[in-house]
Amino acid sequence: MSGTVLTRPATTVAGRPPSRRRRSSARARRRALPWVLLAPALLVIGVLLLYPLIRVFLLSLQDYGLRNVVSGQSNYIGLGNYAEIFTDAYLWQVALPNTAVFAVATVGGTVVFGTLVALLLRTLGPVARTVVVSCIMVAWAMPAVTGTYVWIWIFDVDRGIVREALTAAGVLGPDGFNWFTERLTFYAIATLNVVHHGFPFVAVTVLAGLLTVPRELYEAAALDGANAWQRFWHVTVPTLRPVFAVVTILSTIWDFKVFAQVYLMPGGAGSNVDVLNLGVWSYVRSFGRQEYGMGSAIAVVLTLMLLAITVVYLRSLFRDEELS
Amino acid sequence: MARTHVLPVAALVATLSLVATSCGGGEGGGEGATLDVWIMEGTNPDATAYFDEVAAQFTEQTGAEVNVEFVPWADAHEKFVTAMAGGTMPDVAEVGTTWTPEFADAGGLIDLTERAGDTAAYSEGLVEAGTVDGQLYGLPWYAGVRSVVYRTDVFEELDLEEPTTWEELRETAITIAEERDDITAFPVPGDAEYSLMPFVWGAGGEIAVEEGGTWTSGIDSAEAREGISFYTDLALEDGVSSTGATTWKETDVQDNFISGDVAMAISGSWTPTAILEAAPDLEGKIDAFPIPGPEGGYSPSFLGGSHLAMFNGTEDEDLAWEYIQLLTNEDNAARWSEETTYFPGKQDQITPYTESDDPLVQPFALQMAESGKGVPATQNYGKVQGEMVLQTMVQAILNGDASVEEATATAAEDIESILNEGS
Repeated sequence: MSGTVLTRPATTVAGRPPSRRRRSSARARRRALPWVLLAPALLVIGVLLLYPLIRVFLLSLQDYGLRNVVSGQSNYIGLGNYAEIFTDAYLWQVALPNTAVFAVATVGGTVVFGTLVALLLRTLGPVARTVVVSCIMVAWAMPAVTGTYVWIWIFDVDRGIVREALTAAGVLGPDGFNWFTERLTFYAIATLNVVHHGFPFVAVTVLAGLLTVPRELYEAAALDGANAWQRFWHVTVPTLRPVFAVVTILSTIWDFKVFAQVYLMPGGAGSNVDVLNLGVWSYVRSFGRQEYGMGSAIAVVLTLMLLAITVVYLRSLFRDEELS
Repeated sequence: MARTHVLPVAALVATLSLVATSCGGGEGGGEGATLDVWIMEGTNPDATAYFDEVAAQFTEQTGAEVNVEFVPWADAHEKFVTAMAGGTMPDVAEVGTTWTPEFADAGGLIDLTERAGDTAAYSEGLVEAGTVDGQLYGLPWYAGVRSVVYRTDVFEELDLEEPTTWEELRETAITIAEERDDITAFPVPGDAEYSLMPFVWGAGGEIAVEEGGTWTSGIDSAEAREGISFYTDLALEDGVSSTGATTWKETDVQDNFISGDVAMAISGSWTPTAILEAAPDLEGKIDAFPIPGPEGGYSPSFLGGSHLAMFNGTEDEDLAWEYIQLLTNEDNAARWSEETTYFPGKQDQITPYTESDDPLVQPFALQMAESGKGVPATQNYGKVQGEMVLQTMVQAILNGDASVEEATATAAEDIESILNEGS
């Protein structure tokens, strides 16, 4: 930059207008500058994100097995993998419903519960708030793998806490019930796990938003005779719409691509075919059967679906001028 | 999204590590060369000392250095695959017997047929598992086999004997289940294929057999169905298993045995040591017996274990072979078996174990010598395992989602379609 600044006055001092070429080169340089500054970050993103993305897409167009991995030879088959996926009843009856219904349940659960916790936090004094925030942070900080094993332990079919409690309450007979083998109960446990792991983020973000809502709005609403629910629905929600949009989109992305929380549950790694979601299905196809092309195609479908959902979400949530 | 990237990222990491580590290779001849060796981790707690010593012997013998890297079993398969893709394979590696055909077929392993010569001295099951199209790719190193481990205190209390037929096994389990509410008599784990196999094989069934280049699954044969019915009925009819066991893996069986909640379980020859290490109070309270046959004798049990294999791309095959021979020689093999409680891969080296008076060694050695059996030796069997076809089948039966007939028919269809893929 400094070079440009120094040379310019020199030419004008000489009484001649700056040559067009020099001016345009300066402009080109100025235009290049942002890209130069962005280059390191773009390079990192390109290597770590773009290259793998493109590679996965190219793999998804191939019939690629262990032999290809070793020899490095490509084997393009066009859209064959996609045709196979979309004609496979498994996608429509098992993998997709498991992924989508589960995501709806967990996103709903996470956002609602997180918001409730945020509302609670707002009413607390500074000390109590610090204590509660610290506690919920523990849930957030816990790695997904650790958390999943804790939930499996809690729901241990023969000797878990839940089992013992239900047996003591007379709900369960002496044989118990294996909730890991049924699709609905399996995903109910997974939902608990994911909501428990995800709500602190929502709570903290929504709390930050809540603290920015001017008190006068609530006072005015109260004067107009609005009850608590109306104050929440007509004051808090519209004000915090951007915050809700962000946490909903992020939760959707996270919950759609849940992997460890399903894979690590009993039967979730493939032996119970009723409970696989798209992520685990992709993994089992890729690494279990070494059909890397097919696994990649499933991953691409999952990614495209997420992109589509995100776009729709963004459009509907920011339907007003907020987007433009 | 993370899932989307695993393979390429792994490939990238492999490529980067190639750049970083490819400076090691030897230039032929012993002196100054370094041999890269991968050994699986999780078999022996203090394997480092053992391999340091073997490395010292090797350096003395050839002048070459050995660089041993320990790879945990759980990550090993992926690590091998990415290494093959990135050209960062070791010179020599321990390879699980069920992986050898797969890696050999993919072109990752060197044919050892000529070097190994006559393989009659080795355990037959291990040789079979290491052979693809008549060529040997994995040299048998050590083996493990599953038998039944049980609690002697429970048996004594209820005045029970080690069962010698299936019917006796069933009655023994029923007695325990009826008398002891606090303990699972004989878990029927839904997520453990090797616990099922003795019952398929014992009844005379096969998982799959090849004839004229086509694989036919025998899992839906009358014999196999009889064995599978017996096995699953232990849980469904006789109630000697537990509800939770439907989704148990072998490790869950072991964990529950360790915590004292299981009376009898199909368990590997290497597990008594691990069980006693984790639960010292069970010392003197556990024993083992070979899995009985339906009418006496023994049911075949899966003979697992490890091969030593040479990877394509090794710079000095003779040097690599010398290391393999050193690891499998009399002294080293004996010491390895002693430390790991695995069995050596050579027939004559097993004899001392079958004659051993250690109650936690001899039953397993008998089972292995008399009735060790491998899974179908084809590169595609790994995919059957990857798809968990047998586990899915057992779970479906235990859940009540399918009858034995339905579940075995589905499994047979899946096995055949996977095994006959690409041939």
